[in-house]
Amino acid sequence: MTEILRLTGVCKAFGGIVVADDINLSIDAGEILGLIGPNGAGKTSLFNLISGVVRPDAGRIMLQGAPIDGMPLYRRARHGIARTWQNMLLFTSMSVMENLLIAPRDYPGESALLLAFGRTAIWRAEAEMRARGMAILARMDLAQAADTMVTDLPFGHQKLVGLARTLMNDGALLLLDEPMAGVEGAAYETMQRIVREEAASGRAVCVVEHNVSFIKDLCTRAVFMAQGRILQTGSVHELLASEALTELYFGV
Amino acid sequence: MSVAVMIAIFIILASSYNLVIGYGGLATVAHPIFFALGAYTAGLLAIHTGLSAPLCIAAGAIVAIAASILLAASALRVSGDYLLIASLGFQLGLLQMIRNFEWTGGPGGLTDIPSTITGAARTPAYLAICGAVAAATVALIAWIVRGPYGRAITAMRDEELAFTALGRNAMNLKIVLFAIGCGIAGIAGGLYAFYYQYLSPEQFDVLQSATILTMVVLGGMGTTWGPVVGAALLLAIPQAITFLDLPPAIMAPAQGIIFTGLVLVFLFLRPSGLIGTSGRGAMPAALGVHDHSGEGT
Repeated sequence: MTEILRLTGVCKAFGGIVVADDINLSIDAGEILGLIGPNGAGKTSLFNLISGVVRPDAGRIMLQGAPIDGMPLYRRARHGIARTWQNMLLFTSMSVMENLLIAPRDYPGESALLLAFGRTAIWRAEAEMRARGMAILARMDLAQAADTMVTDLPFGHQKLVGLARTLMNDGALLLLDEPMAGVEGAAYETMQRIVREEAASGRAVCVVEHNVSFIKDLCTRAVFMAQGRILQTGSVHELLASEALTELYFGV
Repeated sequence: MSVAVMIAIFIILASSYNLVIGYGGLATVAHPIFFALGAYTAGLLAIHTGLSAPLCIAAGAIVAIAASILLAASALRVSGDYLLIASLGFQLGLLQMIRNFEWTGGPGGLTDIPSTITGAARTPAYLAICGAVAAATVALIAWIVRGPYGRAITAMRDEELAFTALGRNAMNLKIVLFAIGCGIAGIAGGLYAFYYQYLSPEQFDVLQSATILTMVVLGGMGTTWGPVVGAALLLAIPQAITFLDLPPAIMAPAQGIIFTGLVLVFLFLRPSGLIGTSGRGAMPAALGVHDHSGEGT
């Protein structure tokens, strides 16, 4: 399998709080990697390090063989890192489609120069993006909600919009931060199906999730973290079978 | 008539301030200093060089843009909140310099700015020019905030972190918006210099930003027509009560009371301004998110 992401010796501390302690990790194309561990283990911090919200104190982060640890957040997204957020961070004063239209890796509409001199290029890209957005929404049975304000949607659908927005970025790596939290019923099934399809299409997917059955169903491999360190890597069943880990996780 | 020229100039100022603070969400109090930079640049060039008035005004706008990029690029690098403090320092510091240099006229102000239009048609001509620039400003801003660019501005204001993580360069967008807004304020300054032919540092005091902000809030922040209505109302009302023929001792405080009263009334009854879509409509939408997340957990 092609390696998409590799972290080598990544460290990060905020004052005395160590959120990443010598993290070594790689994710392959087509793989769904689960990140599990108790609250405060450093799972979301790891996402922040990979996506570029924070810079590592030490270590390297390589995306498809190229170092990205010096790049700012927005540039990493353009290089193909797409992520969702625990609390979604949707654009609340906008419709579903508008949320999606902001998200492609290349958005000519943000250039003031193009705005003044290249309106046709913008509108052509715009039409293309709209079509792509509709296709993604259709896969989630949300096509009819394209023009609905995101805040008018039920919670599960908002979560799906968060994922749909991320999928507008067709990059190699998909980071999902608690995609299932608060999602149930049909939306749960859809979420699962889409994540599977994305991996099958050759993307590397990494999921932070507390829902153990979701991890069990989907993940090919999992990493157990606690206090900023990776304690064990293996199949989900191996990790859940480990008494030491379940004790840490569930506190039993 | 001369009030109408004033209203046109303040429509330009309020609209450009609205672009920066209302649409861009960039908290700044330095708008008067960019107004001043445009005014002083145009005035000084008109006095000391033979440049035509439009060129002087354009030069004023360029100086304002350059200064705004200097301020925004350094302040925004630290954080968005830092801009407020940095802009205050910028406003106070630069005005202090204007007040103390000899070549700016010092505290006494810059006098003898040549009049390019003379005669009886002077004020109507300035009204036509300022009115046209005001209309062009409103049209330009309406055009900027529409379509893909406007969508990016809205998204940035909604959730800057998510916006950036999707590959959008928020910093760049902010600097450009700030530069456009401040450049337009510079143009307003140039027009002001040529019309009044006299500039005093007091006219560009930091409190001017409170006046302009009041116009924006009253009319409707983040709307195209709000600043237009706000500027017209706030300048016309004090003028209107002069007809009541009150003694000056009552007049001045009365204007202040009306001013403050209007702001309070609007904040209570129509928080999104005269033009803003139903004042309280924005509230449930924002609260709706929390309702849903409550359902989820």
